[in-house]
Amino acid sequence: MNQRIVHIVFGVIALCLVLSAAALAETATGSGPPLDPRAMKFDPVTFTTPKVERVVLENGMIVYLLPDAELPLVSITAMIRTGAVYEPKDKVGLTGIVSTVMRTGGTARMTGDQIDEELEFLAASVSVVIGAESGTATLDVLKKDFRRGLAIFADVLRSPAFEAGKVEMAKRQALEAIRRRPENPAGITAREFRKLLFGADHPFGRESTLQTVSSITREDLISFHRQFFAPGAVMLGITGDFDKTEMLTALRAAFGDWQPKSIRLPQIPAIGAPAARSVNIVRREITQTHLRVGQLTVKEDDPDYFALALLDDILGGNSFTSRLFRDVRSRQGLAYSVGSAIRPGNMAPGIFLMHALTKAPTTYQALSSMLGNLERIRQEPVSDQELQHSKDAFLNSFVFSFADSGQIVSRLMELDYYGLPADFLQRFRDSVVKLTKDDLLRAAQKHLHPDRVIILAVGKEEDFEQPLAAFGQVHIITLTPGG
Amino acid sequence: MIRLSFCPDRLNGPAIVLVLLVLCGLAASATLEERVVEHTMANGLTLLVMERHHAPIVSVNLTYKVGSVNEHAGITGVAHLYEHMAFKGTRTIGVTDAEKERPVLEELDRIAEALAEESAKGAAADQKRVAALREELNKVSAQADRFVVASELAALYQRNGGVGLNATTGKDLTRYFLSLPANRLPLWAAVESNRMGDVVLREFYKEKNIVLEERRQRTDNSPSGRLYESFTASAFQAHPYGLPVIGWPSDVSALTRSRTEAFFQTYYGPANAVISIVGDVNAKDTIALIERTFGRIPPRAASPAVRTTEPQQQGERRVDVEFPAEPQMLIGFHKPAAGHPDDDVFDVIEALLAEGRTSRLYRRLVQEREMATAVSAFSDFPGAQYPNLFVISAMPRAPHTAAEVEQAMYEELERLKREPVTARELEKILNQLDAGLVRSLRSNSGMASRLAYYQAVRGDWRELIRRRDRIAKVTQDDIQRVAKTYLIKSNRTVATLVKPSTQPAQVQP
Repeated sequence: MNQRIVHIVFGVIALCLVLSAAALAETATGSGPPLDPRAMKFDPVTFTTPKVERVVLENGMIVYLLPDAELPLVSITAMIRTGAVYEPKDKVGLTGIVSTVMRTGGTARMTGDQIDEELEFLAASVSVVIGAESGTATLDVLKKDFRRGLAIFADVLRSPAFEAGKVEMAKRQALEAIRRRPENPAGITAREFRKLLFGADHPFGRESTLQTVSSITREDLISFHRQFFAPGAVMLGITGDFDKTEMLTALRAAFGDWQPKSIRLPQIPAIGAPAARSVNIVRREITQTHLRVGQLTVKEDDPDYFALALLDDILGGNSFTSRLFRDVRSRQGLAYSVGSAIRPGNMAPGIFLMHALTKAPTTYQALSSMLGNLERIRQEPVSDQELQHSKDAFLNSFVFSFADSGQIVSRLMELDYYGLPADFLQRFRDSVVKLTKDDLLRAAQKHLHPDRVIILAVGKEEDFEQPLAAFGQVHIITLTPGG
Repeated sequence: MIRLSFCPDRLNGPAIVLVLLVLCGLAASATLEERVVEHTMANGLTLLVMERHHAPIVSVNLTYKVGSVNEHAGITGVAHLYEHMAFKGTRTIGVTDAEKERPVLEELDRIAEALAEESAKGAAADQKRVAALREELNKVSAQADRFVVASELAALYQRNGGVGLNATTGKDLTRYFLSLPANRLPLWAAVESNRMGDVVLREFYKEKNIVLEERRQRTDNSPSGRLYESFTASAFQAHPYGLPVIGWPSDVSALTRSRTEAFFQTYYGPANAVISIVGDVNAKDTIALIERTFGRIPPRAASPAVRTTEPQQQGERRVDVEFPAEPQMLIGFHKPAAGHPDDDVFDVIEALLAEGRTSRLYRRLVQEREMATAVSAFSDFPGAQYPNLFVISAMPRAPHTAAEVEQAMYEELERLKREPVTARELEKILNQLDAGLVRSLRSNSGMASRLAYYQAVRGDWRELIRRRDRIAKVTQDDIQRVAKTYLIKSNRTVATLVKPSTQPAQVQP
């Protein structure tokens, strides 16, 4: 047995922090005035994280195991080294069709309809989703039906039949979805913004069109599957009610004769950064403008990521207490949805963005407030109170990152997939504890660039209270039919 | 059911969410029945506690038996607007000095009401006076803002590790929820009992603008939002289920602080509330905690019942909604509410028609004839407390028209009347119900929500289990009889999204 077992243990994590407003301990009496919730003090949250076992099967397949007998269920999540970024550029949309038809188009042993019938009768589910940078497949099944579920799941991964009828059906559905794009301004905003950030031809920016989807053939699906699906490209994370030894035996029976092969991953082209701020408008007959302001940013392994994550939280990442929420929503009443987000990159740079939806006649005002907040966070340090709040919120909610065994295992697989350390979250936590206002200011000045951000407004330009030209050179984006 | 929430989901945000409660079943019912502890307090509040010790966390769900069904023309949207106001704090939270704040808020009300009165004169309004009042409103509003401690309530929860803080308003219920590290439950009890007893509606006039933005986002600029609103308003001519949860814009604009506060006083008493707590807690200690916090709140007069019943429909209703978008359609049939034996039969029909790839509508419309990209069915639309609708819908796929898809759906309904369903189809539905209950135990917040839902809408959380047992008894004959009784032309409302007869210039990209 060529088996490597690594024990991953987070151990006991004690979060020791003193709440700033701590004064009174909660008393257990029924009389007396009600307690002031601001004055309540609680013990630190302590918890132990379960031990996850990592096994490498003989053919190179990595398996993470975390038994949890609370409920009579077993779940498998597979992470597959593939992604939409590897699609040929004239076949954009291919991975969407591959995902759908791996699940619906049958296998070497069963038709797609038979699989549907059996899984639904067993109240089990199998899914395949290929995202930009990775693929995921899942099985969720009652313990008593695990053998059947695993057999179908393994066949879906290893020997999908890509029935011609199901391929055509998936293509026609994808074409209908493209036809329906113009009616959804949120979708337009998201896609156009990615194109502006990465470039309309870049694997991270491009989108499928009627033309690229129409050109996809069954042979394209088969060859994509052949190119990327192999045991060395698959990690399995297994949780639920099972015995480890029996599980490994079952996995070897299902996957053991899957022959390894080497996979060459295509190169992802480099991305050029914009030199100047641009204002981009998509004209739509809608009463509410979708606004986005953003830029490319760091990868997840950048040491400044932790500081940027806190900055984002303070600026707009936090749903209720952030500056954008309080200013643009509560104080000015301009938006129901407003905030910011940072998504660190792995294979490509990450994205930092601010977003808001506001009625057309307050577009300029909302945009101006968003940019003002962005300027401010890189010109002056955040307040002690903001920093403390953000840290406390992060540290005290840390336990929720370990609350669910599926979540624990999925995270380990993601870290493994992207080559990040298994204790990444623990490092994140330790770094956050140490961050100072100056650290945040330095990170903001280094990484946030209001003078070079990309601004996108989707809405009825003639109803804006002022033209957006004050914010930079305006480009009108004309959407291409079927694009 | 349609639910609006205080805060949108982060980026992907708030398409209207149609939530079908996961149906639950036998497999875990024995343990479930044993694990839930129920406690009714002297002031009428119901508490449900379920211990689950897998991690030191807890989820709480505070559900009030109030929603837009308790509204009428003129005050539509008040239940939802109140839900937003509940995040602004109380006499002690969210404010520096509530005593000094009060006269300023009252002054603000006087100006706002004078402004509303003058504006209501329409063309005859004194524009100078309107402008002067508006300026004064802004001035006094700024004075009131000086007392505000922004987002203090949410900040308290977040600083203590609270996650998933939000609230939703629907037709029947308004629900407030949160997950916390388990040892911080006393914080939640202190804040939430304070909110139930002693809320202050501050930043009221600005919040109405935020709700109107929410409406633009969910309804005005959304093809499905528009379709659902018109469909529901057409199906219910008398019963308040026809009113939009978010409110008609003119009503939201006209709502006053005193009207909204009166709504709170009428419907937010402890007897109208269910608290459900699931997680790493001790049931006995939790009951004691809730007693010494919520137990302080005096009982209130019973809230008025909804008296209006929808008269029997006297013929098909068809409504077109013009919107520059590809077609969508909704077909609804009036049916009885929970408690009527036919209601359970509709749960089976819902699953038969649209649950999964092997369901009848999916197989026929999406897979075999490829005339639609998606189908769905809802057995309790738009609420579950009162007689409601059985709804089927589909997304036609070009070049197929809504009319073709409608006909194909009727063919499947006719088949239900004509041929008995197979035993295997019924068995599959039961298997899914049973597995659904097992899976529902995976999540504290999901379980807390489910328990409170059944307690509030069905009067007893055990309905979660009993309903499964009743569904298990549904026969082939029941399905044929119910289909023949309710799924008929004179009892249906059909709403279709159609392109405007004269399209604006920019509808195509």
